Amino acid sequence: MKGNYLGELEELILLTVGILHPNAYGVAVMDELDVRAGRSLNISAVHSVLTRLEGKGFLKSKMSDPTEERGGRRKRIFLLTGAGKRALEEAQVLRTEMYNRIPRVALQVIGVGSK
Amino acid sequence: MENKSKRYPPRWANRFLEWYCNPPLLDEIQGDAFELYYREAKMSKRKADLKFIWNVFRFLRWRNIRKQKPHYINYSTGMLQNIFKVAVRNFFRQPGHSLLNVMGLAVSFLAAFLIGLWVFHETSYDRFHYDPEKIFKVMSHVDGNGAIETYPAARANINLTTISDVTEKAVVISGTRWPNELCFRPDGKTNECIYLFGIFAEQPFFSIFNFPIIKGNKNPLANPTNIAISESMAVKLYGDTDPLGKTLKIDDHFPVTIASIFKDVPSNSSLQFEFVVPTQVFARMRGLSDDYFSKDFQTVYFKTSTDIMSEALTAKLNNPSILTEDLKKDKVSYSAFPFVNERLRGEFTNGKNSGGRIQYVNLFVLIAVLVVAMAVINFINLSTARASNRSKEIGIRKVIGAQRNGVVMQFVGESFLVVVIALVIASLSTQLLLPAFNSLIGETLSVTLLNPSILVWLGAFALVVALAAGLYPAWVMSAFQPAKVLKGNTVTASTGAQHLRKVLLVVQVSVSVGIIIFTGVLFEQLSFIREKNLGLDSQNILHIEPTYKIMQRYDALKAELLTHPQIKSVTATASDPVDLTVQTTGVSWPGMPEGMNAAFKILGANYEVGETFGLQLIDGRFMGAKPGDTLNTEVVVSESALIKMDLKDPIGTHIKIGDSHCVIIGIVKDFHTGSLKQEQLPTIIYAHPILQCSRLYVKYEAGTTQEAIATIQETYKRLEPAFTMKYDFVDEAFDTMYKTENTASSMLVFFTSIALLIAVIGVVGLATYNVLKRKKEIGLKRVFGATVWQILGNLSKEFVLLIAFAALLAIPVAWYGAGQWLSGFAYRINMPWWIFVVTLFGITIITVVLITLQGLKTIRTNPTETLRSE
Repeated sequence: MKGNYLGELEELILLTVGILHPNAYGVAVMDELDVRAGRSLNISAVHSVLTRLEGKGFLKSKMSDPTEERGGRRKRIFLLTGAGKRALEEAQVLRTEMYNRIPRVALQVIGVGSK
Repeated sequence: MENKSKRYPPRWANRFLEWYCNPPLLDEIQGDAFELYYREAKMSKRKADLKFIWNVFRFLRWRNIRKQKPHYINYSTGMLQNIFKVAVRNFFRQPGHSLLNVMGLAVSFLAAFLIGLWVFHETSYDRFHYDPEKIFKVMSHVDGNGAIETYPAARANINLTTISDVTEKAVVISGTRWPNELCFRPDGKTNECIYLFGIFAEQPFFSIFNFPIIKGNKNPLANPTNIAISESMAVKLYGDTDPLGKTLKIDDHFPVTIASIFKDVPSNSSLQFEFVVPTQVFARMRGLSDDYFSKDFQTVYFKTSTDIMSEALTAKLNNPSILTEDLKKDKVSYSAFPFVNERLRGEFTNGKNSGGRIQYVNLFVLIAVLVVAMAVINFINLSTARASNRSKEIGIRKVIGAQRNGVVMQFVGESFLVVVIALVIASLSTQLLLPAFNSLIGETLSVTLLNPSILVWLGAFALVVALAAGLYPAWVMSAFQPAKVLKGNTVTASTGAQHLRKVLLVVQVSVSVGIIIFTGVLFEQLSFIREKNLGLDSQNILHIEPTYKIMQRYDALKAELLTHPQIKSVTATASDPVDLTVQTTGVSWPGMPEGMNAAFKILGANYEVGETFGLQLIDGRFMGAKPGDTLNTEVVVSESALIKMDLKDPIGTHIKIGDSHCVIIGIVKDFHTGSLKQEQLPTIIYAHPILQCSRLYVKYEAGTTQEAIATIQETYKRLEPAFTMKYDFVDEAFDTMYKTENTASSMLVFFTSIALLIAVIGVVGLATYNVLKRKKEIGLKRVFGATVWQILGNLSKEFVLLIAFAALLAIPVAWYGAGQWLSGFAYRINMPWWIFVVTLFGITIITVVLITLQGLKTIRTNPTETLRSE
């Protein structure tokens, strides 16, 4: 929690890595993000976020076996660390808590909630 | 996965990625990029390509770029020894080839050195003066109805004080005949003459120009009875004694005191002289009053103190205070010519500065560059061709752990060794051949080899050539993969390399062909000049510079000479008919259009001039021994003069030259009065009193030169005992008009042969290699019954096609270049197309012969030997 605040994109990618477990790698994350959140990023952008998250300690990575479809090249598989899971939880809790504090009135104006 | 048609993303983008990417990250990055590519390529390959390229560039982030680890190639001394040993062994494994390589480079270096020396010499002319860019010469331009004539002269008393930039001016009178070449009597010998050249100059001469005075008065020209002489002149006349203070007689008449001795004028000076005398002496020798002399046109130099450009100076020179009204009326204008341009850019066409010798300097620099380039190309070709011989060695080295860069360094080092050896050979040969080269081109070039700056230049040169020649073959060779090579697969050069070799060969041959053709054209033009019917004879005529006494005894001399059977005729003139520079616009004739300013060349001559020079009379007669008309000067006009004057009935017409009344008595066929580079001006020959003629000509029987000279000298000596006869040959003097062209053609022939040699080496090398590689193929063909000639034809066909293509490339370029050069001559040959054809055939035939010689041995070997499998 000390200064490790999670950006919006970073959070999304962390979530995606969780979803894709245990096959989360560059292209897969990019595709999932596109399908689920409608965000089409360039592959290199995805790579850089993944690397940054690993640097912050939220992810760890390992190399997979060479695969035929990639011409014998290996994939770098990302996995959530304990810190990563905690960060996600905390973020989720925070969101819910703050959402519940919004008065009915405000939500009505936005057009959410019961009539 | 369905069958993947092997679609592949753009190779270059992929290679770029592999190059910049940090190796540990390569797998994931490249893998992802490829995965995306295959996905996209199923729909549109083009889009996939574009996206791939885009991604490659998007991946170009700091994080992904490889960190440069220090590439230390650690070579222990043992390793270096090994490399050296291997290099030497390889050299001697194919001594013929290796020698070819070295000699090719050495020869090209030799050519480059010689040319370099020459160019250096030429560009150093006149640069030894203080502030050479601040010295200028005044040029006069005369507008003579259409054509503008340029002269290196101005009014002697030209007043430059109104131009603030000018610090001083000096008139310098130089020349090749009297009064610049004078008889000086060595100390104590009153009957001997040593002829020495000198100049007349005004007092500021020694401060404008840097001719250091080593003894005596630093400003000798301030006193009009002084003379300054050179070191060698002092030795020639006085031996070891100190000449300062002694008296010399100019022309046996005017006494002058030796006031200073200056250092000998260096060879790279446009002004050459052994003595300097004040201009007042000149005026007196010519019998001119100082006032008259000051209005005379002489060469004027001046020096500026600021950085003012010549164009600005020219504008200032044409200010009415300097360019006086009377000059303007005669359509004269001045311009400032920078003295540093004298040697290389001294030509004027129609009033504009049009370059000059510089075109030859540029030509030869180009040739030097081409020749070295060709040798380097040869080296590359031969090295890459031989690369496969070293493949196993490279394989082993890599297996043991050599990095690619290490292998590259090894081979570049070998190239460097070869280059250095070639350099040494070339330097030594330069020293040896320099005297011969000097006599070929008539210069005195010299080089001190152990000069440190020269060594630095040579070292840099060797490095550049070694890199240029060695890098590519080294690169090719270091790429051999150990796995393939050690299994015994012969490494054939990639088709890319083979094509490159062919391209290089074509380039070489076309360059050689171009040079040969150009030289051929040059040669033809020069022989044309020599043999062209000039309209007058120049062979077998002796020119004598007579003394006044001889001219007084002209009739006696002539009568006596003609008693000898070898002497055909004798005449006297005021100027040189072969190189006539005297001209005037002051000719007027009846019916001349108002305001017409036509220039005519005029030649004052004695009556036998027609016979001596073989001039052809068309109408009328030449001057007779006694003038037929006592009131008017008799003149003979040339054909073109007649056309210019447009006279109906010329014989007997009265015309005026300046203030003299003349009558036309004859018409002569046009004859050349100057270099064939210039257009001809119409000529008028006028009768001139003997005593005012300064040139004697004696024509003698062809083939009797020796006896004729002896006879003439003897007769001369009898009539003029005090002076040694000064003479030269008219045809030699004629040749010196084309000295530049002659020098250029000698050099061109020499360097063409070198270029040809290198091209031949290239062809031979490549042909040999080709044949050797196809040993098995040839053996097989022989087994199947092909004759020697069939195989030969097969081998040479490829080469001949290449050569023919190269020649065809060269022809248009040579045509254009030669045409440009020829256009510098007013009288020229038509483009000799037969040279092109002959060269083409010659080259083809030579190639075929060479290939035959090389191939015959291999073709004749017994197929059982070549087809043996190891």
